[in-house]
Amino acid sequence: MTAPDLPAAAPPAGGSVPAWIRKRGGAIVIAIALLLLWEVGVRLLGIKEYLLPPPSRIWLEFAKRSGTVMGGAWVTTQEILGGYVLAVLVSIPFALAVTYSRFMENAVYPVVVFLQIVPKIAIAPLFIIWFGFGYTPKLLIVFLLSFFPIVVSSIAGFKAVDPEIMDFARTTGAGGWKLFARIRLPQALPDIFTGMKVGAALSATAAIVAEFVASDRGLGYLLLQYNGNLDTPMVFAVIFLLSFIGLAVYYTVEFIERITIPWHVSQTNAGQAPL
Amino acid sequence: MPQGAAAGEAAAAGAASPAAPPAHIEIDDLCQTFRRAGMVTQALDGVDLLVAPSELVVVVGPSGCGKSTLLRIAAGLLPFTSGRVRIGGRDVTGPQTELGIVFQSPVLLDWRNVLENVLIQVELRGMDPRRYRERAERLLADVGLGDFQDRRPRELSGGMRQRVAIVRALIHDPPLLMMDEPFGALDALTREQMRIDLEKLWLAQRHTLIFVTHGIAEAVALADRVVVMTPRPGRIERIIPIDLPRPRDKAAVTSARFTEYVDEITECFMRYGVIRY
Repeated sequence: MTAPDLPAAAPPAGGSVPAWIRKRGGAIVIAIALLLLWEVGVRLLGIKEYLLPPPSRIWLEFAKRSGTVMGGAWVTTQEILGGYVLAVLVSIPFALAVTYSRFMENAVYPVVVFLQIVPKIAIAPLFIIWFGFGYTPKLLIVFLLSFFPIVVSSIAGFKAVDPEIMDFARTTGAGGWKLFARIRLPQALPDIFTGMKVGAALSATAAIVAEFVASDRGLGYLLLQYNGNLDTPMVFAVIFLLSFIGLAVYYTVEFIERITIPWHVSQTNAGQAPL
Repeated sequence: MPQGAAAGEAAAAGAASPAAPPAHIEIDDLCQTFRRAGMVTQALDGVDLLVAPSELVVVVGPSGCGKSTLLRIAAGLLPFTSGRVRIGGRDVTGPQTELGIVFQSPVLLDWRNVLENVLIQVELRGMDPRRYRERAERLLADVGLGDFQDRRPRELSGGMRQRVAIVRALIHDPPLLMMDEPFGALDALTREQMRIDLEKLWLAQRHTLIFVTHGIAEAVALADRVVVMTPRPGRIERIIPIDLPRPRDKAAVTSARFTEYVDEITECFMRYGVIRY
């Protein structure tokens, strides 16, 4: 028979190391340039260290007291991971229930949306009263903040199935489970991952705020301590460390996304990530 | 889905034994009304239509005349208000499974390549996709997609995607094919080529085929009989047997006869004010 009417697009290029450098090289150069500018600028202008320490000083202070800081980082990481994993494990089944149950959609979901309007940070002090100073209130704050974005995008994903694909599927006589596993779930995965990435980005913020409210360890606790002592280099060290933890969580989720749904357009069209 | 299980068994048997014979469709006095925002709309009003086994019937009508509704009712995808619809002698009371269906949008699965998109049809029917692989490859080669089996839908043009959707509808060798404006989203040149290729497929397989379109020339070029529908509420204005030789090659679609058929249908629509000159 006849040839296809249009040539197909070229297959997406694979992510080799030189390609990564070509793509991210500019960002790395700019980051290094900014650090250099900071270092030189602070020294030339003679800015006081408690206002803005140079990067080299931050690094030296961090190296000197890395034991304490890394211990705090480990505490905070546990809070982030615990709360985030719990949020993922609860929100996706919840989204499924809302998608498949009219009662859940009409009665339970609106209540959850309403509760979502309550500023969750404001609940943090209450959690201290209920659960004390330990791990639990922090985990719950992280859970609360990352739960909702995952629920909202998962519901959108589960509901976004084209009605015509379902019409086609009905003509095959396939049962509900098969339709879910072969069509609805794979179709929803890109949206679920979008929600998971938003939740991941919020989880680090949530853990720090929870530690600000009341804690005796963790990066949030250390940050307040260093701030109180005008130990600005260490404040910066903690902020950098927190950023790295946040990025690590985000990129872990993105890595899982890449291996789970390599077909998704945001992968093939490349470069939606901030770094 | 009362007949879902029975049809599933029949389809599974069909995989081993020769395919079921082409089905016939009987539609008697079919009416369809629906309510939306308190308004009652009559979509179909007393439609009678018989489609013979192996016949290629094209339903043509203006937008909103209920031709897609008619097709969906016949496929058991929509309920109807009154009348009777039978396929192969059995009443349609729920989604029909002994058919292949193609919509205006190809609705392929983004995460599956072309071959896997064809095989989803047999997977959802609980049949072994490995037994259909060879047939899928042959049909894909027949529609010019032999070298594209491993591609994902996003890498294909609109016309190529619709070819995949057509092969997906044919893979299980159904006794009946339904196509709802399958070329509606394609450009005119692609559309003509698709029409030519579809006729070849149909001539080779001779399924019963019911095809919905708003293209008058497309209807005449494809059909054994053209069913002309009125604007809403949809009624059958007339049924025109197309007496042109097959395959409908360039000579056939440029003949004086062809033009007369197109004129006849155009004048029908002019009478209803669908087309004004």
